[in-house]
This record gives sequence, C-alpha cells and structure tokens, in this order.
Amino acid sequence: MTKRLTILIAAVSAVLVAAAAATAKGNDTTITGAGSTFVQPLVSAWTGGLGSAFGYNVQYSGVGSGAGIAAITNKQVDFGASDAPLTLAQQSACGDCVQIPWALSATAVAYNVPGAPAHLNLDGKTISKIFLGQITNWNDAAIKALNKGAKLPDLKIVPVFRSDGSGTSYNFTDYLASVNGEWKEKVGVSTQPAFPAGQGAKGSSGVAGLISRTDGAVGYVDVAYAIKNHIKFAAVRNRAGKFLFPSLRRIQAAASAFTKVPASNELHIVDPPKSAAFAYPISTYTYVIVHKQSAKATELRRMIFWALTQGQKSQYAAKLTFAPMSTVKPVLVAAEKTLKQIKS
Amino acid sequence: MEPKAISLRATGRGRRRLFVNRLAEGSAVLAAAVAVAALGIVVWSVGSRGAGALSLDFFVKGPSSSFFGGGGGIAPAIVGSLLLVAVAAAFAVPVGVLTAIYVSEFSSPGVGRQIRLWLDVLNGFPSIVIGIFVFALCVKVKMPLLGIGHHQSAIAGGFALAIIMLPLVARSSMEVLGLVPDHLREGSYALGVSKWQTVLRVVLPTSLGGILTGTTLAVARAAGETAPLLFTCAIAGQLVDWNPTHSVQSIPLTIFTYSESADPALHQQAWAAAFVLIVFVLVTSLAARLLLDRSRRRLGLQR
Amino acid sequence: MLGAMQATSIARPPALRRTRNAGDRIGDGVLYGLTALAALIGVLVVFAIVWRVAEGAWPAIRLYGLSFLWHSEWNAPLDKFGARDLVIGTVVTSFGAMLLSAPLSIAIGLFLSELAPPWVRTPVGSLVDMLAAVPSVVIGLWGIYVLAPFDAQHVQPFLGAILGWIPIFAGGGDKTPSTVFTAIIVLTIMTIPITSSICRELFLGVPTELEEGSIGLGATRWEMVRTVVVPSVRGGVVAAVILGLGRALGEAIAVTQVIGNFIPLKHTIFAPGDTIASRLANQYQGAISENQVAALIYLALILLVITFLSNLAAQRIVKRFELQRTGGS
Repeated sequence: MTKRLTILIAAVSAVLVAAAAATAKGNDTTITGAGSTFVQPLVSAWTGGLGSAFGYNVQYSGVGSGAGIAAITNKQVDFGASDAPLTLAQQSACGDCVQIPWALSATAVAYNVPGAPAHLNLDGKTISKIFLGQITNWNDAAIKALNKGAKLPDLKIVPVFRSDGSGTSYNFTDYLASVNGEWKEKVGVSTQPAFPAGQGAKGSSGVAGLISRTDGAVGYVDVAYAIKNHIKFAAVRNRAGKFLFPSLRRIQAAASAFTKVPASNELHIVDPPKSAAFAYPISTYTYVIVHKQSAKATELRRMIFWALTQGQKSQYAAKLTFAPMSTVKPVLVAAEKTLKQIKS
Repeated sequence: MEPKAISLRATGRGRRRLFVNRLAEGSAVLAAAVAVAALGIVVWSVGSRGAGALSLDFFVKGPSSSFFGGGGGIAPAIVGSLLLVAVAAAFAVPVGVLTAIYVSEFSSPGVGRQIRLWLDVLNGFPSIVIGIFVFALCVKVKMPLLGIGHHQSAIAGGFALAIIMLPLVARSSMEVLGLVPDHLREGSYALGVSKWQTVLRVVLPTSLGGILTGTTLAVARAAGETAPLLFTCAIAGQLVDWNPTHSVQSIPLTIFTYSESADPALHQQAWAAAFVLIVFVLVTSLAARLLLDRSRRRLGLQR
Repeated sequence: MLGAMQATSIARPPALRRTRNAGDRIGDGVLYGLTALAALIGVLVVFAIVWRVAEGAWPAIRLYGLSFLWHSEWNAPLDKFGARDLVIGTVVTSFGAMLLSAPLSIAIGLFLSELAPPWVRTPVGSLVDMLAAVPSVVIGLWGIYVLAPFDAQHVQPFLGAILGWIPIFAGGGDKTPSTVFTAIIVLTIMTIPITSSICRELFLGVPTELEEGSIGLGATRWEMVRTVVVPSVRGGVVAAVILGLGRALGEAIAVTQVIGNFIPLKHTIFAPGDTIASRLANQYQGAISENQVAALIYLALILLVITFLSNLAAQRIVKRFELQRTGGS
C-alpha cells in the first residue's frame, strides 16, 4: 500500500510540475490589474479587443478601488483601477505612481420601493438627508414635495452603502459634500466613509444585490449595474433645476463643464454649475494607476492608449453607459501626456 | 383463598417521576428534531437549488466575458481550488506527520503535551487572522525562500490553508500513532532494527490508514475555507490557470462573490458551486471514514 | 574468608562489538532532526502569527492605547478608530449562538446516544456529521437567500411582538433581513454540528455498567442521565460548547454576508451590526491609510486575545471538572 501511495503522490506531483512549467511561459503578455468594480464591466469588454489587437491577456479583478490602490502600491498587479483619485498619503506611499483618467460614467441612485411611482425625483439635499439618517420613511414630506402627485408608500428607508473601499463611495460622497455642508462636516469625502445609517455590502454587485432583495432600500451604484439588474434609479435634480436620469449625453454635459485639468489629473465633475443645464450631477471619471517605471511599461502604454482611443468606441463604452473620453479634449490631452511618462 | 392482583401502575411519587422522565425525553427529542430540521433544510436547499443548476458548461467553461450575458461556468475556480488544496497538503502533511512522529516516538510526555497545547491554540486561531498573517509575510514582501512575493499566488493561499490544516493533520496522526501497540515496536527493536527503520517500516505502515483519514478530513476543511484566501489569492484572472505562482480563482471565493450579487444567473452558479463543494466534502469524509475502518480492522487483527 | 575469595584469573571476555552501524546512527539522527524540526515549526507558527499581528498593531496601540477598546467611533477618513462596538458585536453574536446551540447540541447528543432507535440513529448521525464539514460560505449563502427573508418576514416580527417590550428585542416589525439576529442563527447552525458530535461521543463513552446499574436500581432514564451521565461528562460538554464558541468568534465570511456591516450598534438585535472578523474581511484590503491598516490589525490582535482566552477558559473548566470527578467523588 505504501508503494502504491508513493507512486500516486509522485505521479500527481509530476503532473503539477509539468503543468506549471508549461504554463509558466505564458507570462510575458499577461497583464494583471485590480481595483474598481465601477469600471470592471468596461475592462472586461476590453479584454477581447486587447487580445486580438496585441495578443495581451488582461486579467482584471474587481476588488474595489481601495484594494486596487493598495494592490498597485504593493506592486501586486501591473495596473490599478480606481474611481477615487489618490490622496496625498496614498500618492507618497505609491511612490512613482501616476493616475490617468481613462473612462467616464456616472453613479445612479438605485432604489427598491414596491409601490413607488415609475419615475422618482430626488435632489441632493434629500439624498444626503436620507443617508444621514434624517429622513427615514419614503412618504416623508421632503420626498413628496419633489414628486408632486405621486403616491409614496409608508415604508422605512434602508440606505445601502459600500462596506469595502470604494471609488463609487468617493464619487457619491463627493456629490453629497458639495450639496450639503453638514455632510461635508460630519462624514466627508472618502472611499471608506463612516456612513451614519443603513447597511453595507461588498462590491458594486453586492450593493445591487442588497438593494434588490431589501424592500425600501436605496443605494448608489454604477449605472451599468443598475441597468443590468433591472433596478430602478432616480432622476436627480441638477443645479439648473432639472430632474435627470443618467445618460450618455447628460454625462458628457457634466464632463464638459470642467475643462481645467490639474497636474495630478484629479478631476471632480460632480454638481456642475447651473450653466450645464443638462448635466447629470453625479458623474465621474475613473482612473488607471500605474508606476512610471515598470517591467511591463511598453505593454501598459499600449494598453492604456488603446483604451483611451479604441476602447472608447460605442461597441465597448456606450453599451455600458460610459461616455467617450474625447468629450473633453483637454482631459484626453492630459491623459496622453501623462501616458508618455511611463517608461521601462 | 385467591391472592389479590397487585396493580403495577405507578402511584404518587413514582408517577411523578415517570412524568418528569417523559417530559425530559420529549423535550430532548423535540429540541433534537428542531435542530436536525434546521440542518436538514440547509442540505435540502443546497441540494435542490444547486443540483438543478449543474450542467456540462458549468464544469468546463469559465465565467461569461460579456457583462450582460449569462451562462458560463466555474472551471477556473475548480482548477484553482484543486491547486490550492494540493499546495496546502504539500506543506501541511509532511510537517504534520513528522510532528506526530516526534511526539509519539521521540519526545518526553511533557514536551508532547506542550506541543499538543500549542497546536490546539493554532487550531483555535480565526482563519481571517491567519490570512492577514500570510499576507504580511508572503504577499506584501518578497518571500526570500520561495522567491515569489509582491503578488498574490496559489502558493501564498496554499500556505495559509496549510496553517489551518496543520493542527488537524498533526492531531489525528498523533492519535493513530499512539494506537499502534508497543509490542510491535519492541519486537522490532528486539530484532536489532534501528529506530528510524522501525518507524518507517513498522509504525508508519500500520497507522497509514488513520493518517490518511486525518489528512482527508483536513483537506475537506481547507477546500471550503474562504477567509484565508481573501488577501492571499483573490486577485485572479478569468481563465483556467495551472501555475501556482499565479493567483487563481477558488470555489469558496466564487461562491462568496456570487452570493452577494444581484444577478439570478450568478446565484444559480453559487448554489451549484456550493453543491459541488458539499459533495466533495461528503465524498472525502466518507472516504476518510472507510480508510479509518480499514486501518482499525488492520490494527485489530494485529493486536 | 577474604582469603578464600582469592580470584582465580578469569579469562577476559572479548570486547563487545558495537551492534549499530554508522548508517543506522545517521538515520536515527536524521529522523530525530526532521521530526523535531517539524514540531518546532508547528509551535513557531503560533508565535510567528502572534508576533506579526502584534507588530502590525503596534502603531495603533501606540496611538490609541487601551482606550481603543471603549471608543466606538470608526471613521477612517478622520483617523478615528474605536473597537468597542465591534467587540460588543463579536461577543453578542457568538454568545447568542452559544446560548442557542448548547442546549440543542446536548439534546442532539443525548438523542443520538440514548433515545433514538437504531434506524433513526444512523441517518441523523450522518446528517449531523456531514454538516460539520459544510463550509461557512455555503451556510452564509443559505443565510442570505433562505434564512434572512424568512427571518425578516416571519421570525423577527413574531419575536418582536412577544418580546418587543425588552429593549434588546425591539424593532422586530421593521422586517430587516440583515441583522445581528440573522447572524446569530447562522452561527448557531454552524456550531451545532461540531458541538453535538463531540457531545454524542462523550455520552457514548460513559460506561454502560454505570448506566445499567442505575436503571437496575430503579431510576428512570432521565434520572439516570441526570445522576450518572451528566456528572461524568460535564467537563467535556463545556469544552465542546466553548469549542463551538471559538469557531463562532472567528467566523468572518458567513457573518459578513448576513449581518449588515453597520456600526454604531443599535440596542436591539433586530438591526444591522458588525463584528471584528466581518470588518476585517471588508476593510482590510481597501484601507485608505497606514493608520487604518494598523487599527485593523489591532482589531485582529483583540480577536486573537478573545479566542485565546476562551480556549484557555475551556481548558481550565475541563481540568476543574476532571478534578471534581476523580478527586472529589
């Protein structure tokens, strides 16, 4: 019996070693990335195109913007993806990292309220009060005031937030902080804010899941996830007073209102001024973060350039409600300029 | 004169005692029924929802690449789990068995007790803390011995699982080695055989069944652990990957991610994956029990 | 006399040849070395883990000190970290699970060892054994889609209606699926198989002569259990229960799937909450600053201490019961 066992173990180990050796070769065109679940649908769509264009095998893992930043800081992956720009501390921890905006979309305010009207209006102040725990029922006067004539059920509001480090949280709290001073003071803007009320779920799909199985829930999630899972989302009032659903044109309108790009490429396009009449107020860029110096610099440069140009075509981006980067020329120019800094 | 028939029915205190007895028995049965019903519901839920979602695609294909498309399977996760368990066993079984040999053949009882104590402590560590430890040790920094580092890998994940497996393998091996009768050893020494030959040729073969049992049970436990993999082997690609220096998908993490999503198709796959996992665990537990019976019989014959 | 013991010269026997050759000595040495090394590795791993965790937590320990334990605010962007609510959440969920699972496990153990007819014993016993090996993520999956909706729609309102006047059971009518209560039930289901199979082994291990003797003296089955079985297995049962407790304390995945991931804790168990392990699973990867990483590892250290203490308590109690049984009786 011992002999048979030893032979078996030897055979299995031999198979494993052979397999490892055989697959170890395929390393040079594999590009690993991790981070934002917000941009994950788009990156997944890109893998096919990148494979046929350059033969790259892009492996992306949606673990949240916060984990993506940590992963690229620790050099665990070739690129990180985050909807939140690097903080000063993160920038210094990451060393020679640069962030490049490479996609543009929006955050939807999704809800699950049986008995609610098909078209629900909300504004920034009300949303922030809901997430502060100050408005607790769907038939509250504030919500009624925004939805004249609609019947709202007597149902407790369950705010749903991201429990992990999330760039969507950053975008959402960025918006809430600019429309409500109390939010700015109490909670602030972050990938891991301390939400005063509600329940948490991990990942964009986790939030979408929790919303769809909790009556009375309202949460924030990438538009693509809300559409895919058939979750209703609200029309949010912008500064011009219009209640708007997120759409490609309205995301573009929001982005077009901000044409100055700082050296760090950090862009805030939430709550655009009144002049952007048709802007959706909770739009955001999302960034790819790479080290300036790395072994895969050439591949990364090619990949990001492809993403900024080919990857913005409608068959990839528009289908997932990502507006083309060419909307705001200065941003595209800045992105490409930063790209040049990546060398081997 | 005919003796009066004596009634055997209980009266007074006797009746009260019988009543208390029946009450106690009834409560025990009721409580057991409640608990068993709950457990049964779990098994039934997984079985009914999972079995229905199985298909050939499920085992052979990877996750669907289109965001809106359904279908696809968990082939990369199956392969990844096999890889992780193989790495974990490669680390844990030698160390565990050798430790058991040390305790049963070489060490004094006091030292043996100490080692058992620390292994029990290790067994009680939360698996997520072990994951954080391996992350800090292997993933964040470059591992000097293994040369890998700075990225998650199946080796790091397997190492974390091995730490969880180690107390189980060691403890069950110690028990089995302790069951080997001393006269076997003494006979061997009396014939002039050296200690190491005795251990390798007499003690180990006799207890091999029990050691395998402990190993299979530990493997079953490691196959289902999620928390240690979160930080050591979670950032993985979408294709089947046999390379242990890469990070790989795994069944428990796939179940975890799919369980929280909103897509009913992914829920189906989560149930099916859970079904596969339970069947795997069941099969290995049964195999372990068969092996144990076999080895017990062997020891019994030799006694 | 001494003269008579004049030794006649006895031929000196030839010197005893060494019967172990070099190969054997080397083999013995190598085996000893390897096994000792393995044992050392096993023990060192324990200390390595404690060391690394303490080392990682040190910056947070220096910054917050022991007051970390009674501050409850957890605000990462503002660098405010406090473990109080997480510790309470961990303790409440685990102890709640233990309170529910202990009597149920003992009942199952008694049922399988004393009360059940043989045709019931095997299938039920196998069911319980099988469930001991079910991974926690599967129980969490079941918890999300089967248990939580049932809890929210039926169990919590029912309990809330009966016990709602006690603050800790308030709010059952809110019908929230992800709550501390759901987490307690999930943990109970996870710990019952382990505890009950140990209990069963313990009850089966009581010598039949003692049991039969008691029955022969006229005791009912319940009295026999009470006077013979329970005293002899008391220590083991407590140890089994605390083993289950230890498993519940460290459970991250199944809990994080159903507990709602929210602090500060409300005063009722029918509201979302969080535990140390669950927070680690959520926030460790995406921590936004070194401070947060250190604070999270400080949490891990606290969890290690809690599980270690419960382990220690189990061993103490077992020892005490052993002494009572053998020394006193």
